[in-house]
Amino acid sequence: MKSVLIVDDSLAVARQLEKIVSSCEDFKVVAQGRNGAEAIKLCQQHKPEIVCMDMNMPVMDGLTALRNLMQLTPELKVVMVTSLGGVGDKYTEALRLGAKDVISKPFEKDTVLKMLRRL
Amino acid sequence: MAVKFFGQFLIEKGAVTRTALLQAIDLQEKTNLKFGEMVIEMGLMTTVDAARIHLAQRSEDLHFGDMAVKLSIITEEQVQQVLTRQRNSHLYIGEALVKVGALSEQELEKYLEEFKQDQQAYISEKIEIPAGVPHQPIWEMVADLTYKMLTRVAGISFRPGPCTIIKKLPCRPIIAEMGFSGSISARYLLSVSESTRNLVAKAILDEDSVENESVEVLDDSVKEFINIVCGNIAAKAAQLGHSIDIAPPEMRADSNTGIDVPQDHTGLMFPIYLSDGEVFELTIFVPQN
Repeated sequence: MKSVLIVDDSLAVARQLEKIVSSCEDFKVVAQGRNGAEAIKLCQQHKPEIVCMDMNMPVMDGLTALRNLMQLTPELKVVMVTSLGGVGDKYTEALRLGAKDVISKPFEKDTVLKMLRRL
Repeated sequence: MAVKFFGQFLIEKGAVTRTALLQAIDLQEKTNLKFGEMVIEMGLMTTVDAARIHLAQRSEDLHFGDMAVKLSIITEEQVQQVLTRQRNSHLYIGEALVKVGALSEQELEKYLEEFKQDQQAYISEKIEIPAGVPHQPIWEMVADLTYKMLTRVAGISFRPGPCTIIKKLPCRPIIAEMGFSGSISARYLLSVSESTRNLVAKAILDEDSVENESVEVLDDSVKEFINIVCGNIAAKAAQLGHSIDIAPPEMRADSNTGIDVPQDHTGLMFPIYLSDGEVFELTIFVPQN
């Protein structure tokens, strides 16, 4: 079972993602964060294998957190879950920084699970 | 289900790999020269001229070409020559993917057709914006995408009313707001009643009932809805050649008193009528030039 950290400033999205991830027996949600700074702290505490993270967040945005996470733990598998997925520059920057994939909001359950299983 | 760019569509389809897409983007960046790079390559100015233009741009907000003309470094006609060359030599992402061997010509044609169909739902219909407001096509697109997302994401049936210019936004129990910055700046506001908020929350949370949800979660659903809409607006704006950055969504604390349109801004209000007679509003505060 792979451990997953969910990071989104939206309670509604975090809950929806947790429901989707927990519905599959291959994954277990170990923690949830509300911004990029929390993502870094929670990764050090829980050492998840996968991080599902938003881009547009207060305190520290997702791309800054991704850059930091990749320096700290290059083997970490990060999937960006964002409403900005359709913005080519943001999408490309996320891939260049080391994100394994980018899921656009609004997302569907099957899309999320399919991408997580591919990791 | 969202506005996408072609590379993203291909990855989601499994037609190309992440590595191939990045290779193609690298090739695009090497091939598609910026105006300043192209004008030097064409021998119309030197790097010293370019540095002079960049310096002048710090104190006056003009495009590179316009500033070059203002400083008499090149002529209007030469600006047009550079733009034409840029257009004619532009390498699109699909062509770049063919060049790096990730797609064949036939596959490109097939996926372009599928992409066109996938994105058909996000092509704007005509919405009238009052005369004199800058960037009219952008606000038409903003209203149009909001309507489409209300239907597709929130599952709400409604009738849009005509756009009007307002001085004050009427009071509503819930007003969620996001800021746009970049090549276009504005404030995007969605004002809703509690019952409309609950409709949005049901859709965002994917629940049949939200009776037992906290106000924080319900309000958060409206914020997330406008976050989704504005992210898709940023994607669509990028397709139209504009760069829009969005700030995280916020709730307006002054929603119960009504909100004055800020000074030096135009308030564009788009009323949205529900079948039960209720009305809510999309409002955009557009800075006057």
